[in-house]
Amino acid sequence: MRFVVRRLMLFVIALLGISILIFAAVRILPGDIASVMAGMNAPPERVQSLREQLGLDRSLVQQYTDWFSGIIRGDFGTSMLTGRSISSQIGSRASITMPLIILGLCVAMALGLPLGFMTVAAKSPRVRGALRLVGLIGGSIPALWGGLILILLFARGIGLIGILPSQGFPTQGWGSPPAAFMALILPAVSVGVIVAASLMRYVGAAVGSVASSGFIDMAMGCGMTRQQALLRVGCRLAVPQLVSVLGLTFVEMITGVMVIENLFALPGLGSGLVTDMGNRDLIAVQSELFMLASVFLIIGMAVDIAHRVLDPRLDGTDDMSTARNEENSAHANPDEQEVSQ
Amino acid sequence: MSQEHGAYGQSDATQGDQQEQLNKQEQSRATARTGSGEGAASNAQSAVSGSTDAKLNARRKDNKPNRKPWLWIAIAAIVVIAVVVSIVVFRQRTSGSNAQQADTVTVGLTLAPTNLDIRNQSGSALDQVLIGNVYEGLVSRDSENKVVPSIASSWDISSDGLTYTFHLNSGMTFSNGDELDATDVAWSINELIDKQYHDYNLLQNVSSVEATDSKTVTITLDAPYANLLWALAGRPGLVFDADASYDAKTQAIGSGPYVVDSFEANTSITLKANSRYWGEHKAKTPTVVVRYITDANAGLNALTSGDLQVLAPVSENLADGLRKQSDKYTVTTGEDTDKFVLAMNQAQGRATTDIRIRQAMRYAIDHNELIASRGGADAPLGGPIPSLDPGYEDLTDLYPYDVDKAKQLMEEAGYTTDNPLKLTLTYPNIYSTELGDQLKSAFKEIGIDLQVNIVEFSTWLQDVYTNHDYDLSLVDHNESHDFSQWTDPTYYYGYDNSEVQDLYKQAMAATNEKDTNTYLAQAARIVSEDAAADWLFNYRITTATAAGVEGFPVNLNQTLMPLYDVTYTRQ
Repeated sequence: MRFVVRRLMLFVIALLGISILIFAAVRILPGDIASVMAGMNAPPERVQSLREQLGLDRSLVQQYTDWFSGIIRGDFGTSMLTGRSISSQIGSRASITMPLIILGLCVAMALGLPLGFMTVAAKSPRVRGALRLVGLIGGSIPALWGGLILILLFARGIGLIGILPSQGFPTQGWGSPPAAFMALILPAVSVGVIVAASLMRYVGAAVGSVASSGFIDMAMGCGMTRQQALLRVGCRLAVPQLVSVLGLTFVEMITGVMVIENLFALPGLGSGLVTDMGNRDLIAVQSELFMLASVFLIIGMAVDIAHRVLDPRLDGTDDMSTARNEENSAHANPDEQEVSQ
Repeated sequence: MSQEHGAYGQSDATQGDQQEQLNKQEQSRATARTGSGEGAASNAQSAVSGSTDAKLNARRKDNKPNRKPWLWIAIAAIVVIAVVVSIVVFRQRTSGSNAQQADTVTVGLTLAPTNLDIRNQSGSALDQVLIGNVYEGLVSRDSENKVVPSIASSWDISSDGLTYTFHLNSGMTFSNGDELDATDVAWSINELIDKQYHDYNLLQNVSSVEATDSKTVTITLDAPYANLLWALAGRPGLVFDADASYDAKTQAIGSGPYVVDSFEANTSITLKANSRYWGEHKAKTPTVVVRYITDANAGLNALTSGDLQVLAPVSENLADGLRKQSDKYTVTTGEDTDKFVLAMNQAQGRATTDIRIRQAMRYAIDHNELIASRGGADAPLGGPIPSLDPGYEDLTDLYPYDVDKAKQLMEEAGYTTDNPLKLTLTYPNIYSTELGDQLKSAFKEIGIDLQVNIVEFSTWLQDVYTNHDYDLSLVDHNESHDFSQWTDPTYYYGYDNSEVQDLYKQAMAATNEKDTNTYLAQAARIVSEDAAADWLFNYRITTATAAGVEGFPVNLNQTLMPLYDVTYTRQ
């Protein structure tokens, strides 16, 4: 319990710090929304009057307090450019990105978990070697190229087996779930295959390090075969690490799927953020970044707590440093991991 | 041989035992292979699995065949799903193939509007989708960029060019049912001037705008202004409903043939026919969806997969594939007023204030090759006025491609390939990186070491446009009738020539079109001779339509895209 409370306090402090950092960082950029709105043939007076209308001439401290007090009240503000509330704007973009990530992760787990396990458990060294090679190749595919290949194979009207839509999201969104789902299949597979490759290497490394530990010998001593020991004991011991990896992969994918979103013309979070940044819609950008940062932190916290639940050995040490260290080692280098005690 | 079997060597077995053991093992292997002898088989099993527990081994055996059905079930399920999906998709396709006019046409465009506030937000994307479709102006433009009637059915201009009297149509309504009359027209234009809405600066010399009666609007000027009618065909002349209140960023209430049904910023706009439309341009297709696709390949894929019926612009390098399938697609190239301007900063202290250097750069660029490398659709442009604007004259022979002359001019200015002049080219990342590379290699030959700096558009606006902090810049000036930028020394070009300014004043003060054109042509020639900039090319729009699409505008469709005439009949 103390652990959770301390973790929450850190979370709040981190959010405060991040809000200041984001606010300052986006204001270092040259250019402002008033000149973007006014365009190339407008006289300077027009830019000036727009700046006043938009409140860009107020002091930075005032702008920050206005923005942050809004956030505390749960109001993320209104986009200067689109005139819509930023929460609804993020909501509509997230309704594309989040399902895409979840689908992508499902594909990645369906491929990466069993294949990664087999890189350790397969009996034939040839199979193990071949699987490692597959992992390496899969991890080296550039997202753009992989997506293009899938489009050439499966996209309706273009591909050899043209059965899936490859461009954009249906205009009615999730109002027609089958169409929306179909629109996400190709992007999810192209992102999933790549993530699967890295997941496969993580799983291989995690199970591999358990396999060479005493736990497996112990399990085998209790009468299990090596396969059974790996499956029941090895996987169980590797789960906490994998939860960290999956959590971080999820977070990373929120912006990481941007290339795929662009390729398939999906109006998701990543591409939206870039558009807003390009238009210097600072209120939208800072609120979006803040929201993303909170998601990062929340998932980090959830991962930490999940560790406690999944790994009862951590209960004895009411100190976060253990969880932290483990988390760090989990994503530092998949090849040099050890189960932390 | 004993060394090869370390496991046995470590045990206390004697040499003879070892040999015996080995023989046994060999034997059991042999029997296992042939599959005869129960005892031998179980012996072999234990030798392979390493377990002496018979139960465990038995389970192992039993488990094996159990795994396979799952695999087969999974594969079968995937195959079934794939077959069902493809059948469903195929059916949808075949069932929709009867030849009749479609209810919906989907148009793919590139530059997306971020909001619908046409009074405040700059950018031709808004003009393109809203003017003539949702909002209507007092007057309008046709595909040759000439002014034609719209809300005003006719107009009279006094002989001194100071009074414009517009006679309005009757029975006009807005899409919300409100009546549209002269008071709305006068209110809209007066608001624009008072509140300095976008493009208010295009209305010059206006002293008053009045509704003389419900069907007549009079605009009075202090001094003649030749561009007035043309300006009223753009944003300054748009007529809004004085009585309506709505969120202009997300909604639009106008008098045009279409209404905005839904708008997703940066993604799409759905237009529905306006059931209360009053005029003769009634919408032929009930629903037009405009989708914005930034990536050129993605746009092409959307067209070929049938998600789009129209795509404009198509990247010229991708259009060839469509041209080959002429039974399925029509590819046309339309005129436009886009000028790719290589601006040369003429502010104090810049190397580019030296006319010899500017001229050398113009001689050093092989415009035809540049255009060919982009696919060949664009037109060469020798001066600031494109072919659809008044005062156009072909000026491409003023600075033909001539490297020797360019080198000589650079030498006179004190630079050679061994002692090059360092310049920086700053341009927004919306234009291709090849342009910068091509200029860099062209200028290298004549002794200019060009550093290319590609930035975000908003950074460009700040650094180049506002702060004039640049040597060379490249931007597409797509506006029509924008010659006035060459008469404003505070504009980012820094070009200041009083003769040009006087000629422009005379052109605007002239009361007949012919004089205006003559003065403008003279001024444009001077600007080009001064090498105030280089005009790389006049960008022309390539539009691709699926077979069966008719009535889509080809000329000027990036700024003016009337959709009322568009129809699509499935083939």
